[in-house]
Amino acid sequence: METALLLNTSMLLTLAIILTPTLLALLSKTPPNSPTTITRTVKTAFLISLVPMTLFMYSGTESITSHWEWKLTTGFKIPLSLKMDQYSMMFFPIALFVTWSILQFATWYMASEPYTTKFFSYLLTFLIAMLILTIANNMFLLFIGWEGVGMMSFLLIGWWQGRAEANTAALQAVLYNRIGDIGLILSMAWLASTTNTWELQQPLTPTQTPMLPLLGLILAAMGKSAQFGLHPWLPAAMEGPTPVSALLHSSTMVVAGIFLLIRTHPMLATNPTALTLCLCLGALSTLFAATCALTQNDIKKIIAFSTSSQLGLMMVTIGLNLPQLAFLHISTHAFFKAMLFLCSGTIIHSLNGEQDIRKMGGLQNLLPTTTSCLTIGNLALMGTPFLAGFYSKDLIIENLNTSYLNTWALLLTLLATSFTATYSLRMTLLVQTGFPRTPPNPPMNENNPTITAPLTRLALGSILAGLLITSYIIPTKTPPMTMPLSTKTAAITATMLGIALALELSTMTHTLTHPKQNTYLNFSSTLGYFNPLTHRPSTTNLLNSGQKIALHLIDLSWYKKMGPEGLAHLQLMATKASTVLHTGLIKTYLGSFALSILLILSTQT
Amino acid sequence: EGEPQMAAYLTHQQKVLRLYKKSLRHLESWCIYRDKYRYFACLLRERFDKNKDVKDMVKATELLKAGEEEFWANQHPQPYIFPDSPGGTSYERYECYKIPEWCLDYWHPSEKAMYPDYFAKREQWKKLQRESWDKEIKQLEEETPADGPRTEALPPARKEGHLPPLWWQYVTRPREIPM
Repeated sequence: METALLLNTSMLLTLAIILTPTLLALLSKTPPNSPTTITRTVKTAFLISLVPMTLFMYSGTESITSHWEWKLTTGFKIPLSLKMDQYSMMFFPIALFVTWSILQFATWYMASEPYTTKFFSYLLTFLIAMLILTIANNMFLLFIGWEGVGMMSFLLIGWWQGRAEANTAALQAVLYNRIGDIGLILSMAWLASTTNTWELQQPLTPTQTPMLPLLGLILAAMGKSAQFGLHPWLPAAMEGPTPVSALLHSSTMVVAGIFLLIRTHPMLATNPTALTLCLCLGALSTLFAATCALTQNDIKKIIAFSTSSQLGLMMVTIGLNLPQLAFLHISTHAFFKAMLFLCSGTIIHSLNGEQDIRKMGGLQNLLPTTTSCLTIGNLALMGTPFLAGFYSKDLIIENLNTSYLNTWALLLTLLATSFTATYSLRMTLLVQTGFPRTPPNPPMNENNPTITAPLTRLALGSILAGLLITSYIIPTKTPPMTMPLSTKTAAITATMLGIALALELSTMTHTLTHPKQNTYLNFSSTLGYFNPLTHRPSTTNLLNSGQKIALHLIDLSWYKKMGPEGLAHLQLMATKASTVLHTGLIKTYLGSFALSILLILSTQT
Repeated sequence: EGEPQMAAYLTHQQKVLRLYKKSLRHLESWCIYRDKYRYFACLLRERFDKNKDVKDMVKATELLKAGEEEFWANQHPQPYIFPDSPGGTSYERYECYKIPEWCLDYWHPSEKAMYPDYFAKREQWKKLQRESWDKEIKQLEEETPADGPRTEALPPARKEGHLPPLWWQYVTRPREIPM
């Protein structure tokens, strides 16, 4: 009995601690916050959130609390209900841990920026919105969190608003997320009209859920989690500062779409068509993003495409009807992806703003801790046995192999796995090994504990997280136990092939053959020609058709042609035809009289 | 006076040198490792040097055109751009913090009281600016040729006690990287 009370209290306390800086800033006259106080707040919240997680791990207690109610319309209750189940209780400590590390890093990274406190309060607001999204028990609260993270993403990507590209990227993020929001609102409307509640608890009908709300949810996940079709905003979002990329666009915001599908998986589970759609969409996204990452030269873009690829993999897991495994991948992915971004941030700052890997090299000797963490992160991403990524990624590929769903999706995913190894190794080789290709710059060091502490913490998380989570959380579905050796080793074989490909390509870059453009390189470099093919034509079509409707259809056709001008035109035609007869000769007129009298007489009789 | 002036068209030499520099930069984007880059850069230099003494302008222009087409075919899809150059990752990053100096006039007196000596001196500088403005304009009007200025460079102060023209815009320019 007391465990539930302790659980609720500690979760609410975590949320209250997170809200404290914002409330203090609103209530007091002098600005009370600073980057260090906000970091300390998040650290405290992390430590408090370990309490409910431990409670859940050892007793399996879950709870749903309901505090207040929005009385917007009669007959439709929207309570402020919070769901503390496996997903939210696991996500809180992980998100808070990653955020704490990123904020601590950002105290160093953004030290030379004006308005750092505003930056940190934006990050904190984002975190609040994300946690609301996670803990929401009904679609209304989830929608509040959803919109909140989208808005903060806009403000944070466009942090340096003097840059034209940053503003374009922020707008891109907002517009693509909006397209996804259409889907979300559609499914919310369907739920409200059909099931008369927005709670996520209702026992759903054993019969198949209709396609419409599921399509809406999948569209929402497409927009928020950058699946193929609504993906261009994620690489463009790298215009924001590195802590923003680390927090939003790798660990927390982009998983919101997948999280939505995890929360609504009872609805998805009954509809095999929707599941197949998720599977194929995820497989396509993961392969496309991995292909694009192969030829990128900006270190942040490589990691962004890597995120996009892993999100596709999470979508594949949803398509396999394994929400818990998708959540496991979200958790492990958060650690090593945030760490990769923080490592890249250290490298960028040490090289005075250089982001191109063609101008990096030999950093292993100059920044040992950072490059070690980069290696650990890349190994975890590739799914090296017994690091964090292995527990989730290998399980996903095993499940994909042993399910008899879709061979095409399987092939695409395996190919994407090998590409993951390829671009990770390419990045590692070009950044860390070899002779330095950097322009001359002052000697760099990483002696600052504000840098090394977050990195080593996240590295520890990348190594241990998979093991810890799988040891303590009981899977709800039995994983496949027996399979042929070739199936079991499929993932690691694909990774090895990818590594071999990367090593072969890197030796090729050393040979003295003049490099040239070829079709595959161009396809990958221009990100599949997706941006120019879709951005211009869709907007010009929309605006052109709008102009046609407004001017041609309404003004020209209805008001002019169907009305006065059309009538005048017809009359003119008739008169032009009949003026030929107005010759002025009497005999013609007499003839016409006679003709008409004859006609009348013939019709009378 | 004896220095080269910017005109509305490029000379052949300028075009060839621009082609050489951009082909070297794209070659650098292709050949990541320095030894390989140096090898191909030497080959490229030799190709340019082979034709450097061609006196026939028609032939030289044809060579330049062929060179430009070869560049277009062989360019790198993601050329390396320096971070602070246009198109780079840090370009115009701090533009939003570069506020013009006349905003200082709109500060509230309580805010201005926080920096009394600065604002006292500022009043003197503004007085100086008002006094020298007419003289600067007169100097510029005299020195500009009838059909417009030839170059963007500003002339120095010519007379004793005068200040160089448009000095205020230079002195009050914003910092490159804000505090």
